[in-house]
Amino acid sequence: MTRFSKLGQYGIFLAFALICLVLALSTPKFFTVSNLLIIGNQVSINALLAFGVTFVIITGGIDLSLGSMVAVTGVAAASFAHPDTYPLVVPLLVGLGAGSAMGAFNGLVITKSKVPPFIVTLGTMTIGRGLALILSKGRPVSNLSDSFNFIGGGSVAGIPFPIIILLIAFAVCSIVLNKTILGRYMYAVGGNEPAARASGIRVSRVKMWVYTICGLLSALGGILLTSRITTGQPNAGAGFELDAIAAAIIGGTSTSGGTGTMTGTFIGALLIGVISNSLDLLNVTSYYQQVVMGVIIIGAVVLDGVGKKD
Amino acid sequence: MVAAFLLASCNQSSEKKGGAEGGGNKLVIGATMLSMQNEFIVNVSDAMEAKAKEMGVELITVDAERSALKQVEQVESFIGQGVDAIIMNPCEVEASSPAIKLAMDAKIPIINVNSETSSKPTAFVGSDDTESARIAMKYIVEKLGGKGNVLMMHGFMGQAAQIRRDNGAKEILKANPGIKLLAEQTGEWDRAKGMSLTENWIQSYGDKINAIFAQNDEMGMGAVKALEAAGLKGKVLVVSVDAIPDALQAVKKGTLDATVFQNAKEQGGKAIETAVKAARKEAFEKEVLIPFQLVTKGNVERF
Amino acid sequence: MSDYILRVKEISKSFSGVQALDNIHFDLKKGEVHALMGENGAGKSTFMKILIGLVSPDSGEVLLEGENLVGSNVHQTLKKGISMIHQEILIIPELTVAQNIFLGREREVSGKSGMLSGWLNDAGINQRAATLLDRMGVSIAPKTKMRHLSVAQMQMVEIAKAISNNAKVIIMDEPTSAISDKEVATLFQIIRDLQAQGVSIIYISHKMDEIFRISDTITVLRDGKYMGTRAARDLDHNALIAMMVGREIDQMFPEATRPVGQEILSVHNLGKAGKFSNISFNVKSGEILGLAGLMGAGRTEIARAIFGLDGWDEGEISIKKAPLRARTPREAIERGVGYVSEDRKGLGFIPRMSVKDNITLSSINSHRKGGFIDTHSEQSAAEKMIADLKIKTAGAGQHVTYLSGGNQQKVVIGKVLLASPEIIILDEPTRGVDVGAKFEIYKLIRSLADQGMAIIMISSELPEILGLSDRILVLSKGKQTALLSKAEATQELIMRHAVA
Repeated sequence: MTRFSKLGQYGIFLAFALICLVLALSTPKFFTVSNLLIIGNQVSINALLAFGVTFVIITGGIDLSLGSMVAVTGVAAASFAHPDTYPLVVPLLVGLGAGSAMGAFNGLVITKSKVPPFIVTLGTMTIGRGLALILSKGRPVSNLSDSFNFIGGGSVAGIPFPIIILLIAFAVCSIVLNKTILGRYMYAVGGNEPAARASGIRVSRVKMWVYTICGLLSALGGILLTSRITTGQPNAGAGFELDAIAAAIIGGTSTSGGTGTMTGTFIGALLIGVISNSLDLLNVTSYYQQVVMGVIIIGAVVLDGVGKKD
Repeated sequence: MVAAFLLASCNQSSEKKGGAEGGGNKLVIGATMLSMQNEFIVNVSDAMEAKAKEMGVELITVDAERSALKQVEQVESFIGQGVDAIIMNPCEVEASSPAIKLAMDAKIPIINVNSETSSKPTAFVGSDDTESARIAMKYIVEKLGGKGNVLMMHGFMGQAAQIRRDNGAKEILKANPGIKLLAEQTGEWDRAKGMSLTENWIQSYGDKINAIFAQNDEMGMGAVKALEAAGLKGKVLVVSVDAIPDALQAVKKGTLDATVFQNAKEQGGKAIETAVKAARKEAFEKEVLIPFQLVTKGNVERF
Repeated sequence: MSDYILRVKEISKSFSGVQALDNIHFDLKKGEVHALMGENGAGKSTFMKILIGLVSPDSGEVLLEGENLVGSNVHQTLKKGISMIHQEILIIPELTVAQNIFLGREREVSGKSGMLSGWLNDAGINQRAATLLDRMGVSIAPKTKMRHLSVAQMQMVEIAKAISNNAKVIIMDEPTSAISDKEVATLFQIIRDLQAQGVSIIYISHKMDEIFRISDTITVLRDGKYMGTRAARDLDHNALIAMMVGREIDQMFPEATRPVGQEILSVHNLGKAGKFSNISFNVKSGEILGLAGLMGAGRTEIARAIFGLDGWDEGEISIKKAPLRARTPREAIERGVGYVSEDRKGLGFIPRMSVKDNITLSSINSHRKGGFIDTHSEQSAAEKMIADLKIKTAGAGQHVTYLSGGNQQKVVIGKVLLASPEIIILDEPTRGVDVGAKFEIYKLIRSLADQGMAIIMISSELPEILGLSDRILVLSKGKQTALLSKAEATQELIMRHAVA
């Protein structure tokens, strides 16, 4: 595993460590176990979506429908999660199934129609938003069972459950990307699609997988969110896609496809979470938070570009 | 977002086939609502629908999706269709104002419901947001005995409701110097954001927090979740505004200490009544203020 | 001393530990055509990048009329008088000829000052461009949009642009790679005129004939080292090749060592509307079939059809008597077809992946353990192929982007070989590859055939076709015009059928 692109990743890692150091020095409340767990908790949803979109971006695509998929899957799962109705697996399967189906739909349209992913997922973003409102009749779906609420609110041995889900998802996504043939094919398709096809790779199949996985991870994020706020909100997740894409880009995934790592994306998501957490701790208004975030996104890409020059 | 523009032309969610040509001398009222993704607005809209049915008038409801521009265009198209009266639930104070002038010029009565515009409409039906925050903050002051630390969670900065609720709350705080505002920050009306913000506040202020005022129930519910997780709910007072069903449930359970009831049903009903009167050139009140009510565990059963 | 317009002294440059240039000297006289020769990877392109200010050397000097240019950027060296005509022509197709010539310098022509200098003066630009092209003896209307021009014409425009920049030194990188013989003659005439006006030309090409026709002086680089400078008249083909590769090439085309075997591929009445029709041939194990013809004769199209990249309308393609059905690259690979495209960058490799990942891309399924990749077996397969093909790389993990053209070609061949093909189609396998590497590729092709593979080789170079092929299929305008045996084939005969 000697990837040259890892070099750029170290830069992000260093930047992240540096920012953490500065924050730890500026407020004693930052570097405490409880605060770190809170950051992990807050980061989990965005990180899950970012993992999904990293797969997509590596193949040279994009998915703007993440946020809407969060809403649809959240509402769908919540509808089956009222106390004393169905066992826990039912809302989970409904949510994950809905997400995978929406992702597969994205993949199907993109591979069959040759319409750019940007446009297709822009469409499904709006469709998804509408579906969430239709399913919920425009009202939040609340009164959820305790077992369902445990997913986003419970903890095991002092560690919040979302963090456990996040770490498992990270491990699985890393393995898929680095150790499986599918992962190798993702890099190939994004790096040079015609050459991948000429190498015997079924490009459409790879893309179908990628968008489906992205939908599945969005569903996981949707279920986590719903469970965390104990309601399925039809307007939840608006703008989540941009945060997820930002995390991937900060982590060194190139929007032109062919490069990117899960570790990078994970750090990107952590960076975003750490910054918004610490600016709250320091009582900085959210206006500045947005400016800071924008500067970091651009800075990350600029750094990445500089690092890649010969 | 961009997608909203794409669908701009096809989201006329009218319940019935619109148009002035429909059925003899039946009155037609056009209504443009701030956002049908907002539960409270949906409640107002439902009340209008019910009232319209009861009074035998035809109601065409469209969703402005928080876009003032779209709202103005929708009012234009109502005027074009020749409706008898227009009800507008304004998106913005300034940017939705041109719609008022358009309707006035066309001599069609236009009624603002729930929130205001800078141009004066034919009539206003709603409640004064400043008052809701006053009520909530007064309750906090009273419960804390005039002494303690408060955190305030804002809605989207710059929106009329946020500005008014901010003004109302600050007014009460000014009158009670014993209450200290520890920090204020936006939770963007969102439950998950309110929850994250509260988690971070707990890290910063911990035991010092005596009360949290959230400018809407969604954020208030988020605050409650975070406090419960940190085992602080018993010690911190949480009060919010709107009285959505979830919040009422929470007040009943005792997790949310109080919310302020804004009467959606009354607002919707009165809006239709006023519009019908204005269209029929009958006498009507130029300003119908529906009072707020504080909801606590003691009176929650009534809501 | 004053004879020289450009003197380059002791230039060295290394990239991440690899010495690309080692103590290079280069002296350019005013008004001379100076050829720069060397195999791919010899350091020519790095050297050019240093001259134009794109890359900064680790040590040494670039003196243009005594002024050291090291540290100047591309824009500054251009202003000082060094222009480069790139191999891939850099133009904006939707702008006119005149607009392209003066791109970035519109202000010079605007003829106004102050606020008004921001306004375009298209009339002025057109007039100046017309004068310029006229002086070069080129008949191109300045108002023509670039996209309507031929490659040769675009090149003329690039040269005009260089002249309008008052270039003292013009670097031409493979200027004749995409133009016809007649256009080459025009280009050479323009070079002679420039020479007469005192402009110096640095000329890079792989085509030996051209080098001896046009250049006065030849400098040779090998493996990043300076091999010497000679007057062109003092050298001949063989001496030059010896300087470039470090040895004499006596036997370019190795002979077959085994007889042909059974039929592997048969193509029967193959046709595709507008591309080719009625194509029938077969290739046997151990045989090299040459596909000859002019550009556009349909050679690449037939190869793409066999490999499943494009479909076909009529006829049949069979591998070992069983027809292809799915018509996809995947099916072709599974049935034992390998394709090395002429378009290396487009269809060959994946630049951001490592040599190893590229080489095993088509055969990764044979290194699977469950759904996972068996990294050990993959690594050893890749390393064996790197050694077998003598691919020059810093390691299996090196990105393919960093390899020279010849080595990139070998990576693609390696990928094809690892999928265990029975028939390989090589489309212009030596295009853009220098003499030494060509010989290696010929040896490789013959040895593959000797191992029992069937080979189809498409080439525009007749010596290559004649030297290597066992049989030669000649195409003309999508029709098959001759199938010649090695014994009967001659250059004249092939050409006659190619234009039939």
